Amino acid sequence: MRFLGMFRFTVGETIRRGTLIFYFGIATIIIILFALGIGHSTTDPDIVTIFGSPFAHISQPGANIIEFLLLQLHSLSIFWIILFGIFGVAGLIPGMLEKGTIDLFLSKPLARSELLMARALGAVSGIAINLIYFFLGIWLIFGVKLGVWHWGFLSSVVYVVYAFVCFFSVVTIVGLITRSTGFSIMLAFAFSIISWGLELRENGLYRLWDNVVYHRLLDALYYLTPQLNAMLENSSRVIGKNPFIPSPAEFTYMPYLYSFFSTSLLYGLSVWYFSRQDY
Amino acid sequence: MEALQTVDLTKHYRSGLFKRKNIIALEKVSLSIEQGEIFGLLGPNGAGKTTFVKLLLSITHPTSGTATVLGHPLGQRALKEQCGYLPESHRYPGFLTAVDTMIFFGRLNGLEEKKLKDKAHFLLEMVGLKGWSKVKTKKFSKGMLQRLGLAQALVNNPKLLFLDEPTDGVDPIGRKEIRDLLIRLKGEGTTIFLNSHLLSEIEMICDRVAILNKGKVVRTGTISELTTQKLTYIIQLSAPVSDDLRVRLNQSNFSLDFKDTSLFVTLRDKSELNSIIDTLRASGIGIESMTQQKTSLENYFIQLMKGENER
Repeated sequence: MRFLGMFRFTVGETIRRGTLIFYFGIATIIIILFALGIGHSTTDPDIVTIFGSPFAHISQPGANIIEFLLLQLHSLSIFWIILFGIFGVAGLIPGMLEKGTIDLFLSKPLARSELLMARALGAVSGIAINLIYFFLGIWLIFGVKLGVWHWGFLSSVVYVVYAFVCFFSVVTIVGLITRSTGFSIMLAFAFSIISWGLELRENGLYRLWDNVVYHRLLDALYYLTPQLNAMLENSSRVIGKNPFIPSPAEFTYMPYLYSFFSTSLLYGLSVWYFSRQDY
Repeated sequence: MEALQTVDLTKHYRSGLFKRKNIIALEKVSLSIEQGEIFGLLGPNGAGKTTFVKLLLSITHPTSGTATVLGHPLGQRALKEQCGYLPESHRYPGFLTAVDTMIFFGRLNGLEEKKLKDKAHFLLEMVGLKGWSKVKTKKFSKGMLQRLGLAQALVNNPKLLFLDEPTDGVDPIGRKEIRDLLIRLKGEGTTIFLNSHLLSEIEMICDRVAILNKGKVVRTGTISELTTQKLTYIIQLSAPVSDDLRVRLNQSNFSLDFKDTSLFVTLRDKSELNSIIDTLRASGIGIESMTQQKTSLENYFIQLMKGENER
């Protein structure tokens, strides 16, 4: 009941954030544009039209144009959700720690671990609601208007939400330690870039310094932090293969598995740290 | 039975670069508060009043010492279920209405959803926010937020209510209403722990007070015990004192002041009182009444702080 109370409150707070309202608006515009614009050609049902103009053949040899479109929408959604998601939710933990707010919360019969986890889950759920809205909307339109019920696209939202749950563990611990929204936003952005750099370390960061200790340190960082970039990339692979990328990689569960452990560790550390602090 | 008892409760903070500086927020504070009383904690800024309440509600962890609140050791969920708290600078989510704020905090207290709405309206009416229940709190003035804070602190029918500056920002009529409400709650058996700078208010409603300075309790007692100046008396005489008698009385080492038939005397020792009475009666002057002089809590507090700071 208490956990649920804090969870519901945080979801409400998250979806009222200006940045996420903006994301919701953009998602709605894209959904409406597709609802109004996409369809089959009246002369050739194999041709996909956009606002009446022929776009491409569905059964183009060597390329699935529907999957290509869905992959683009998936990438677009991820870009926006990372951008707006960070602005939208990075301040939730430092906001909770502000004088006058934290006093009230901690005076209630709610364990600190419950409070923190309800807050984190609420923040992620706010993001998830936005993502599900967009993915479900696009999936329905492609199904209804083109007759393509692409379950891979719909299921990819689960992987994106999971990636955000893992990513938020970094935002949580940074927010708890710095107690600053500004720092949390900056460090969350920095982490999303670092995650990308660590993913490509063998062809990038390794070359900066040819030292075994440095290389192992990068490896340790890669496995000790959520593999955001790898998870997001993999989430697109359940949709299909981009016809313009030669020999694209296969889907793997490994980044999700590794990130499960690093995320659990970070949330565990956050609870431990939060329980020991004076406010 | 005690509602609250602390034994040598101590809180030290570390601050500065590398946390090398030790700050004493509270030092061995031992207090006991009976159930059903209104207890006031006074002290200058930084004395440790808010830290004391935060320790009791586990918002801050003690360095050493023990405490029980309503029979529960610190940190227990059962303790918080029976306490209400109005912090000094509270912030409420601006996107919620007053009634939604009440329902939210009711949920955090684990109260049943069904009963919460009625209770929220009842409490908002009780604190004078009847017409504001559906207005978002971001539109509230400071005084209105203070009233909302009080209603929020009462949502779980607390047995012990901690109020940190409850009348801060409230107009004089509102202050009177809050005082009346606290007295009513006391009558219903609620123990009230009050932190306030407004000494006149403390004087009006508190049964007992403690004075905290630099983290230490320097005085505790009832208002009467603290404000009664034990060695200063006002003696009402049957007739004015003659010049001759004045000279004789002034020859003693007492501090004397005359006004018509009133004699104000400050003694070094209580036994000196008999000597004055004997002198007056030997001169044929009758004694109609004799009372110990009282001071205001504010005067007492200021004098005490001056003395403490000169040490």
